Amino acid sequence: MSKTGLIIQREYGSRVRKKSFLIITLLVPLIIAGLGFLAMWLSVQETKQVKVLVADPENLCNGKIFVGDNANPPAIFYFYEDYLEPSVFHESGQYDDYDILIGIRKEVITNKSIKVFYRERMSKQTEYYIRDRIELRLEEYFAMDRGITLTEYRRIRQEFNFILENVDPYKTDTEPAQIVGFAISILIFIFILTYAGQVMRGVIEEKTSRVVEIVISSVKPIQLMMGKIIGIGLVGLTQFAIWAVIIGLGLTFIRIFFFQDMVDPSNLADALAPIEGMSPDLLTDQAAAVTRESDLIWIIYNGIPWPTLITLFVLYFMGGYLLYGALFAMIGAAVDSETDSQQVMIPVMLPLMFSYFIGILVIANPNGPAAAWFSQIPFSSPIIMLQLVAADTIEIWQVVLSLTILAGTIILIIWGAAKVYRTGILMYGKKASWKEIFKWMRH
Amino acid sequence: MLSVENIVKQYAGHTALNDISLTTKKGEIFGLLGPNGAGKTSLIRIINQITGPDSGRVLLGGRELKREDIARIGYLPEERGLYKKMKVYEQVMYFARLKGLTKKEAKERIDMWFEKFEITSWYNKKVEELSKGMAQKIQFIITVLHEPDLLILDEPFSGFDPINAQLIRNEIIELKKKGASILLSTHNMSSVEEICDSIALINQSKMVLKGNLNDIKNEFRSGVYSIQFKGMMFGFANALFADFSLEHSEQIDEDRAIAHVKLLKDNTLNDLLKTIMPVVNIEAVNEIIPSMNDIFLEAVKQKEGGDHV
Repeated sequence: MSKTGLIIQREYGSRVRKKSFLIITLLVPLIIAGLGFLAMWLSVQETKQVKVLVADPENLCNGKIFVGDNANPPAIFYFYEDYLEPSVFHESGQYDDYDILIGIRKEVITNKSIKVFYRERMSKQTEYYIRDRIELRLEEYFAMDRGITLTEYRRIRQEFNFILENVDPYKTDTEPAQIVGFAISILIFIFILTYAGQVMRGVIEEKTSRVVEIVISSVKPIQLMMGKIIGIGLVGLTQFAIWAVIIGLGLTFIRIFFFQDMVDPSNLADALAPIEGMSPDLLTDQAAAVTRESDLIWIIYNGIPWPTLITLFVLYFMGGYLLYGALFAMIGAAVDSETDSQQVMIPVMLPLMFSYFIGILVIANPNGPAAAWFSQIPFSSPIIMLQLVAADTIEIWQVVLSLTILAGTIILIIWGAAKVYRTGILMYGKKASWKEIFKWMRH
Repeated sequence: MLSVENIVKQYAGHTALNDISLTTKKGEIFGLLGPNGAGKTSLIRIINQITGPDSGRVLLGGRELKREDIARIGYLPEERGLYKKMKVYEQVMYFARLKGLTKKEAKERIDMWFEKFEITSWYNKKVEELSKGMAQKIQFIITVLHEPDLLILDEPFSGFDPINAQLIRNEIIELKKKGASILLSTHNMSSVEEICDSIALINQSKMVLKGNLNDIKNEFRSGVYSIQFKGMMFGFANALFADFSLEHSEQIDEDRAIAHVKLLKDNTLNDLLKTIMPVVNIEAVNEIIPSMNDIFLEAVKQKEGGDHV
């Protein structure tokens, strides 16, 4: 085995055999799966009933809507036989009892376009219920208008186009997918911080115990540094792999035993039964929609591109970890004790913390320029990019570009860090300033 | 065996090694002596390829030193440590394999050394459970396990208790007999003079003196003898007259004294004895051999005097 291989083996072996590693690796995913179950279970429990105000100046619905025999429908409809501007609905205070405004204008006959204004984004389940009812009522109107039966009309019908907008034009919505993306960002942030921190502590330990003298009389400093970074990185990947498997199994288990009816389309026929006369192909079409009884559950099982996210997590974790790990190794070599490291660490910690805060901003605005820029800058891209991928607001070329920039930066950083490391590990008894660190880098 | 040729090493603002050359032979213990900060550790790090020289070269067995040669060198650094949380056996195995031994070779040798030192019961102990002396034994084993041709020991006796220091001293002599070339660096000059065959004295990054230890000692012989006698000091001093000088004297009791006498001109010890025998009863005669410390001080003085000319 090569010398770097031996170092990797030692760094890896000594860490994965620790009790603390075993406990954290097994316990955390069980907690995450448990919390995930709790969140999903709660999301099923709390289905809020919304009040929908239908502004119908042409009285196309004739003040009626077919609600079936649902004892506890997710939405109740009220009618208003005039035009109602969303700004009035939003600001006058008179309509505060209503959650949703639907405007049915005369043009709907020709453009099939219906605007839905909401104060708070409703769940997918509620959204589909409302669409369903409005569509059904209007179809009845059109069929009657043309003197044909509803079944006949359905054969020639055109889809309605529902446009959902927040009634407050300044407010942006947070999609559950973005929240999941942010959770992954936090996870990658914690992983990078934890494992890069371990690199630094490892370097400081070798330096203060002076064992480094013996090691580097056998191997080159860069071999020791890279062996350590790679070994510890593999510990991180091992932990992530175990977490992914346990959480994956946990979610599968939960899906099979608790939420099966929500993900199995065959269970949906019952849910749709009250709507009479619906053609079978329409049924399957809508089946997928009604699956979304809980947004969260739907997102977790169907809405998140898990294989892509996991692959990118591994790539961006490795990238971010190599980048920050090399910087932390450099700092470890430059200081004389762990307490000394705090001050020197600030310039390296800042971009990492900054990325975290940018991550919070990006949840609200995944399409903005901040998201575009910070997903390319290598010091923040590992934390920001996954969020954008989860929110699906990014193109493949952007991911490829960001990974390429990251890889290039890693090579530069490792090159510089190795120079500092080489000099620093043999400097005992003093804490290097950044000025000296840059001098060593140029040397 | 090892040849260091015209090594120069500069750090920001100061010269650590200024044109240092030395050669060690196979089967010899070579003492690299000098006060703290003289440049010994810098030189050792260059030989170990931990750092590179600014100019000059290092040869091992006649060939320029290469990266692979580190398997032929055993290095016991002055600043020595071990991985505290690692078990003793695993640790020794790790370092042996870093030096290029196979698992099997390493195991055999570890068993051999641990049995020799009677410490096989430490195999599964963590280093943090060991005393300092115990850890040093482990470090010594790590240094010699791969049977290096060249052993570099930086301050090998510092921190050892007398029993362990003797044990290590014997092992060093044993390794020398087996043909290893040993470079022993220390600032404590008296600690090594009895085991070194050759020495080099470094002071303020420059070579002050080097060569065979006996030759150097001969060169620095001062021709001073210590004479213990029974009789009158006054008569003794008078008898010396102009051929000898009385450097120092002390009375042991009423009629006995020890005097340090230096031979002047071409006089021999025989001449001295002939001169004083009629005056006092001689009880003991010893040559005053200069210690390495004295030689160092003298050599530095000479060198500085020479530099000024």
